[in-house]
Amino acid sequence: MKAALIGAGQIARQHLACLRTLPGVEIAAICDLSPALAEATAERFGARAWFTDHRSMLERVRPDVVHVTTPPPSHFRLALDALDAGAHVVVEKPATATLDELETLARRAAEAGRALVEDHNYVFNQAPLEIRRRVGTGELGPVVHVEVLICLDIFGPGGFADPNSPHPALRLAGGAIADFLPHLASLAHRFVGPHRSAQAVWAKRRPSLLPYDEFRAVIEAERGTASLGFSACSQPDAFWLRVYGERMQASANLFETRLTFDGPRPVPKPLRPFFSALEEGRAIRRAARRTLLRKFKGPGAYEGLWELLARTYRALATGTEVPVPLEDLLAVNRLVDALKPREVRP
Amino acid sequence: MKVLVTGAGGFLGRHLVAALRARGDRVRALVRPAARLEELGWPEEVEVVRADLRAAAPLESAFDGVEVVIHLAAAVSGGEDLQFAAAVGGTERLLEAMARTPCKRVVLASSFSVYDFGRTRGTLDEDSPLHAVPELYARDGYTIAKWWQEKVARRLCERNGLALTVLRPGFIWGRGHAYLAALGQRLGRHHLVIGPCTRMPLTHVENCADAFALAAREARAAGETFNVIDGPGERIWRYLGEYQRGTGERGWRLPVPYRIAILAVRVAYATVFRSATKVPSILVPNRLESRLKPLRFENRKLRERLGWSPPLDHAACLARTYGPWR
Repeated sequence: MKAALIGAGQIARQHLACLRTLPGVEIAAICDLSPALAEATAERFGARAWFTDHRSMLERVRPDVVHVTTPPPSHFRLALDALDAGAHVVVEKPATATLDELETLARRAAEAGRALVEDHNYVFNQAPLEIRRRVGTGELGPVVHVEVLICLDIFGPGGFADPNSPHPALRLAGGAIADFLPHLASLAHRFVGPHRSAQAVWAKRRPSLLPYDEFRAVIEAERGTASLGFSACSQPDAFWLRVYGERMQASANLFETRLTFDGPRPVPKPLRPFFSALEEGRAIRRAARRTLLRKFKGPGAYEGLWELLARTYRALATGTEVPVPLEDLLAVNRLVDALKPREVRP
Repeated sequence: MKVLVTGAGGFLGRHLVAALRARGDRVRALVRPAARLEELGWPEEVEVVRADLRAAAPLESAFDGVEVVIHLAAAVSGGEDLQFAAAVGGTERLLEAMARTPCKRVVLASSFSVYDFGRTRGTLDEDSPLHAVPELYARDGYTIAKWWQEKVARRLCERNGLALTVLRPGFIWGRGHAYLAALGQRLGRHHLVIGPCTRMPLTHVENCADAFALAAREARAAGETFNVIDGPGERIWRYLGEYQRGTGERGWRLPVPYRIAILAVRVAYATVFRSATKVPSILVPNRLESRLKPLRFENRKLRERLGWSPPLDHAACLARTYGPWR
């Protein structure tokens, strides 16, 4: 299959590093507005051609799959052109700036019989996959509640709050935090299904270019409840996922490999906390070693992106369902839309 | 002569503005939109233009009345993508805009990091081999960015009929920037000194700025490439000693012969880290080489072709770096 990529920035390198390892996938072309970046990226990842104009790339290369990894406000136009050129589209999150745009894309993909996959990478990290496996076997019991909280310092130089070159994501409703809503919404959706109602709180703690730096939400969904959060001020960086089942609870930090479970044990009830703590300690020590080793090799915290792309290309090759079906994509983005702030701060 | 200096708010840029003014040139300084000018203490004659070369904003008016551009702007820290966008994307934008103006001369600040130290034997000069593709992409983000910046600058200047001078400074040091990557590895407050007798390709920031100011003025420099170092360079052991005395930092200097260090790193790389994709720079053989390989360094071309000699000797550089603030 011929893969092409539009937008050769930071996240593009993760896509390309993964594509290079997938059997039967050829990196056919790279497109970027900067000729040097397009050429350097093509050279580095063994792409045959590079372009600065995406339309001529689509026309000349006729890719089977197009990865859209540009800043979010440009996704809609580029993804639409790629679908119209007959390609499947893998688009970075947030797929579009508005729900309307996403519905248009989804309609176009369905009409053309092409896949449209948004990068819900953290859903495919090892820890969430393992928790879902245990939900599937019934070990956790029915899921009652899921909690997702990202703590991430996004004030640093060269990041979202760079006063010299404002990040394009600041143009989204919610500012930089909107860039992370698809992670929160996709994880919630996987465990408790489409939302019925959502209440969000947007706040600003520190003076900065960001319109908001704190976000919390409570969600009622078809199969349970969820609480979602993003904190730019709390340190250290962490990505907490906690899943509360009727029989067992799971806790993971997706920036690391830490994953612990706490559930019933065949010991007298007063001793349960003691044995639970010992087992949790052992699991955290094992995870510490894995986290360190992960730093030396492979995709690190982007392991979910690699898994998602591998599953996507397998599905496209065999004609089976892609790992993020259109219906899920729409449900996740309806939740994202419901979470966005209604009043737009300057 | 009117000179446009990009990256004028940076470490070299500030000293370059002073060096140009000392030679009687008029300066237009391009600084980032959020740069704090009060810290720079520039007089009113220095015209200031605020722009970030990563942003797609029109730049042509910055060239009004300018005879020579000295292009220093780049990112020396941050991730690989930020460094590439700043150095390479910024150079593309600047030179594309310049091609639409009457200004035809540019001096680019490149770097010693474009040289392949591994393939260089004996003396490193302007004819030493540069990194080759694809080996380049196993290097750090700064090296990739500077290598591509030079390539893009040469290409755009040739295409648009601009006269390019490339200056490649060694390690630039001075007040507030005296701790260098070539010093080895910090271990807490102690230092692992790899190859203590190796001489470093050094240029004091004021000497370096003087070389840039000269290259901008000299028509003979057009179309040429020069290494900028003050001389054969200080030995690492002695430089670190002066650094510790100058800054009052305490700590042991632990000497390790270069051959032993590179052998140990090669063995570790071939065994433990064989399949690793992300390893600290000091543990990657070719990156260790480009920071610490013992070579001799030359500035003969700069001396002979442009008649340059560093205005400050080593004792004066030490006084400017560690002595009382003037």
